[in-house]
Formats: sequence, C-alpha cells, structure tokens
Amino acid sequence: MTVTASVRESSAKAVGAAITRGKRDIAGFVFALLLLACLLTALLMLTVLLWDVVAAALPVFEKRSTGFLTNELASSPDKAGVSQGIWGSLMIAAFVVLLAFPIGISAGVYLEEYARPTRLTRFIQLNIRNLAGVPSVVYGILGLIVFVKGFENLTGGRSVIAAGVTLAILVLPIIIITTAESVSAVPQGLREAGFGVGATRWETTRDHVLPYAAPGILTGTMLAVARALGEAAPLLLIGAITGRLAAPPGQTLVEKMQGKFTAMPIVIYGWSNEVNKPGKRTGLTFEDLTSAAIVVLLGMVLLLNVAAILLRNRFEKKREY
Amino acid sequence: MNTKSRRLAIAGIVTFSLLAVACGEDEGAEPADTTAAATDAPATTEEMAPETTEAGMELAGGEVFISGSSTVEPISVLVGELADELSGGELAVSVEGPGTGDGFKLFCAGESDISDASRKIKDSEAETCAAAGIEYVELEIAIDGLTVATSPNNDAVTCLDYAAIYALVGPESEGFGKWSDANEIAAALGSAYADLPDADLVITGPGPESGTYDSFVELVLGDSAEARGTEETTRSDYTQSPNDNIIVEGIEGSDTSFGWVGYAFYAAESDKMKAIEIDGGDGCVAPTEETIADGSYPISRSLYIYVSKQAMADNPAVVSFVELYLSDDGLAQVSEAGYVSLPADRIEATRAAWAAGKA
Repeated sequence: MTVTASVRESSAKAVGAAITRGKRDIAGFVFALLLLACLLTALLMLTVLLWDVVAAALPVFEKRSTGFLTNELASSPDKAGVSQGIWGSLMIAAFVVLLAFPIGISAGVYLEEYARPTRLTRFIQLNIRNLAGVPSVVYGILGLIVFVKGFENLTGGRSVIAAGVTLAILVLPIIIITTAESVSAVPQGLREAGFGVGATRWETTRDHVLPYAAPGILTGTMLAVARALGEAAPLLLIGAITGRLAAPPGQTLVEKMQGKFTAMPIVIYGWSNEVNKPGKRTGLTFEDLTSAAIVVLLGMVLLLNVAAILLRNRFEKKREY
Repeated sequence: MNTKSRRLAIAGIVTFSLLAVACGEDEGAEPADTTAAATDAPATTEEMAPETTEAGMELAGGEVFISGSSTVEPISVLVGELADELSGGELAVSVEGPGTGDGFKLFCAGESDISDASRKIKDSEAETCAAAGIEYVELEIAIDGLTVATSPNNDAVTCLDYAAIYALVGPESEGFGKWSDANEIAAALGSAYADLPDADLVITGPGPESGTYDSFVELVLGDSAEARGTEETTRSDYTQSPNDNIIVEGIEGSDTSFGWVGYAFYAAESDKMKAIEIDGGDGCVAPTEETIADGSYPISRSLYIYVSKQAMADNPAVVSFVELYLSDDGLAQVSEAGYVSLPADRIEATRAAWAAGKA
C-alpha cells in the first residue's frame, strides 16, 4: 500500500485539527508572517543599495565603456580607471588561493580526522574560532610589522606580496573552520566502511571523506576569497596607494609584485575622497566612478560565487551515495 | 537539493551575462568617444604642455614616491601625470594622500621621497625627522582658501567674523544646539555679528587628524581663544569626518548647517552650498579665486611639498620631478587641480628656496 501525497497532506491536516481542536493556529500564522517580513526587509535593503550603486555607475560604463576597466588611476574622472585595482585584487586572491587554501584545508582535515580529541585540541579549535572574529585591522598591524617591516627583503615592503600574505592569514581561520565543519559532517559509516575493507586512514580520507566534504569546503573557501577581495582596512595599514601609481617600464613580474600596489577597495576608498568636479569631456565625477568601481568589485565577487556554485554542483553530482 | 543549487547557479549566470551584455553594448560607442577625445585633446592644457617644456628640461628616469596631505594630492598627481607624459613613462611617480600628519610619519621614517602638506611641519614632526637624520627642503606651492559654509536655504546668515565663529565652534560652545546660543560669547568678544538666528546648529567638519582642521583652528579660532583664555581647539560634539565629501554632504543636508572645507570642495559644488562671507576686520569678503589670491579673503593657507635631501642625493628622479613641479608647466597644475596659484613674488621665493636647498 502506497501513501500518496494527498493522503499524507490530509492526514497531517486531520492530526493538526485534532490537536488544535479545530481552531486556526493564529500564533503560528503571525510568526510565519514575521519571518517573511524580516526576509523582505533584508532583501529590500539589498535592492535599494544595489539600485543606488548601479544607477550611479551606469553613466560611467556608458560614457567610458571599457576604458574604465583598462585605464590606470588618474587625476581626472575622464581618464581614471580601475585596471591597477583589478590587478592588485586578483594578485591578492591568488595569494589566498595558493597559500590559505592548502594550509587551511590541511589544518582543518588534521583537526577533525587525525588529531586526538584532547583538551589541547579543543583549546586550539576554540582559539581558531576566536581568530576568525578578530577585527581585520589587527591583521593589518600584523602584516605591517611582520611582512612589510620584518620580511622586507622578500616582500619589498609595502607591496602586493605583503598584502596578499596578510589577507591569506586573515582568511585562514575561516577556511580551517569551514573545512573542519564539513569534514565532521561526513557520516561516520563512510569511514568505518573504508576501514572495514582494509583502507588506511589516508586512503579513507582521500577517497571518501574529502570528496564527500568537498562541496562544503568549497563554499567556505570561496567565501574566504570574497572576504579577502572586500577588505580595505588591512590594506590601508600595509600602504596601498590611492592617488597615482606608476612604475618604471621594463619591470619583471617579481619586481612589479614587490613594488607599490593598490586594490579595488582602496580605489573605492580613495575616489570617495576626491573633489567632485565634473570631468571636462565626460561630465562624470569621482562620485560616479566610485559607484562604478563598487559595481566592478561586486562583479568580481559574483563571478567567484558563480564559479563556486558550478564547482559545488559538479562535486555534488559525483557524490552519488 | 541538487535542483535548488542548479537554479541558484543559473540565476547567477543570468545576472552575470546581463552585466556582460550591458558592458558589451557600450563597446560600440567607444570609437566615437575616442575620436571625440582626439579632436578635443589639443585644446586642453595637459596636451599642450610637452611642446613648451620639452625644449628646456631633461627628466631623469626612476621612481618617486609622494605621500601626505589628501588636499595636495591632486596637484602632485597632475604633475606626476605630466612627468609621465614628458619622460615617456621613465619618470614613474606614485602618489597617495593619507593626510598631512600620516605623510610626515612616513617621510621622517625615510619611506617617502616627498611629503605633501597642507600646513607647515610641526615642531614635534621636525624633531622626529631630525632624530632620524632626515633633512628636507620646504617649498610653498599653492594657496588654498578655507571655506566656511552653510546651506543656500540659510538666509539668516551671510557674513561672520572670527569672534562669532569662535562662539559657534570654539571650545566654550560645547553643547550649543542653536545658533543663538552663541550670541552671548560672540557679544562678549565684541563681535558685530552677535545676532545669530534662533535655529538648529548642525555642524559638520574635519577632525583633528586633518590639516584643514589645524589650519582652521590656528587661523580662525586662535585669537579669540587667546582673548578668552581657553585652549586653542574646537568643541568636540560635532560630526567629524576625514572625508571631505561627507562634510560637504553634511553641510548640504540641513537648512541651518555649519561647516568648513577646502575651497576646491566648495567650488565643485558651489550651487549646493553657500559660502559664508568672512569679516576679517575690513568688511565681508566671499571666497573666490581672486579674493584668495590677493589675500583679501582672510582665511587661506599655504600648501607645501617637503623634499627629502637624502632622496635628492640618492635619486636624480626626485630632483628632476621637483624641477618639473616648480616649472611654469608644473605650477600650472595648481589651478588645474582647483587651487589658487601663488603670486609671482612667492613663486620666486619658492624657486630660490629650491635652488638653495639643492646646493
């Protein structure tokens, strides 16, 4: 005998009616309404913000077209562009991917799969959670002292390397926590099945635990990159440039990476502080350019999120058990 | 679960391709844009500059780093762009504007070659520099008027003197919520403007980290503070922001607002703000480029660049850049950036100071 959906539905109603003795569940209704109102408020705020920024940014993309994306920082809103900001932010993202991903994921897996649950392990876990809540300015000070001053020979001082390493450390706790959470959510049976057929801990982790936890880990790592892309405070301390950024021609990539830099959040910050005198040719002001730069940064984060969702779907499709 | 995330992914892709389409459509407009620029360009000063300068100046290649005042930043950026044009990119100038005080911290640590400043170096900062063995040349490059402003809708106030401004924002005004609250102090100081309106006083201005704040306190509040025997500072209970555009918004945002910003920020939005005329003893004067240049508008300050002698010795690009800065083409960028050019005799004094500092 199969229980059809309609039967299930009506029996749920019947049971509900029996419990409430036929009265309507007013409190429940009000509660649901309240929840919906909260959701709509959040969405409304987001829409207003997006609308405000995008509406102000559209004229910039209309009048400047791709020039806005390919030009460098400049004095006039007719010429200024975000290419150096995009380069800096992408470099920082690269550092996060190359440094924070492997270290963070490995640390998370170790904490959940290998470390014995002693008092020390719990203490370390607690501290990592606290680290994730430390204000980003504090990491900026760390970056200033350690990577700008301490390892000046390697980083070149106030450079994109110092910024990238600092932000990689900033997001490390987030990656460790999300990895540990996803790994601990893997059903215990999966591990036991692995051990049962004689697989070692490494083989079980590699072939069963990690693939199962991959979607969760991926979400965490992408959130981490998005966070690193949006941070401004540590970069201000490390010394990202706001006004004009120039390097002599013929620099190698390493020299360029050890030189002065800027990044999208700093470009936005710098432009918001410029005189709002309209440019002679386009009539745009730095206020408009600020909005356009915000849209570019939002676009970069959105692109990352889309990539993460696509990757997660691939992993989830593979996970057929 | 699977379909849900797929739907999310599709939503993301759709949003993104919409963005891409929006950008793609504009690309068609680009060629028209560039031709317009090409025909317009020769008329602008930046494009004219090379022809007049190239003959006389040989620019050394290299990197120059300038930090300091966000007020001076636009001038240095413009001269930097000029240097880039004239040297074909060889003279690479980077400029940032964290503020005069922060700029001197970097400068005295030997981290910047040139420090932009919207006030003279303080004794404490000079001591730090001396302790670090950093010697410098001080060069005055421009004049900036401080504009005391209110909303265009504020008909009751058109002109104030220093005493009245002290009564409104000096240390004794702490807690005053109405313009008229200040009348008593203004009258006690002998102000001719002690008939301030009975209206809400909404103040927005720069904070103590700003050179604009220091100049305002020194130039406007100094004498009255001395007369009243109070500390030379402002009240602390007003909206402070390091971002000049936020100050401008604050002044525009209330019908009975009060605030002060650099002249360039006022000039860019003079239709939305009303500059309060200043009576420095010789009648009411409104800030304009003329009144600031000839000194009849009383609240103006000099803008400076400080050049490290160490950097001059080590890096010929720094010397080249300062020479370009002080050339006619370089100083022409001052008005381009919205500031007031120095009168001829002060330009000569600056050039003489540079010649002496170089030797």
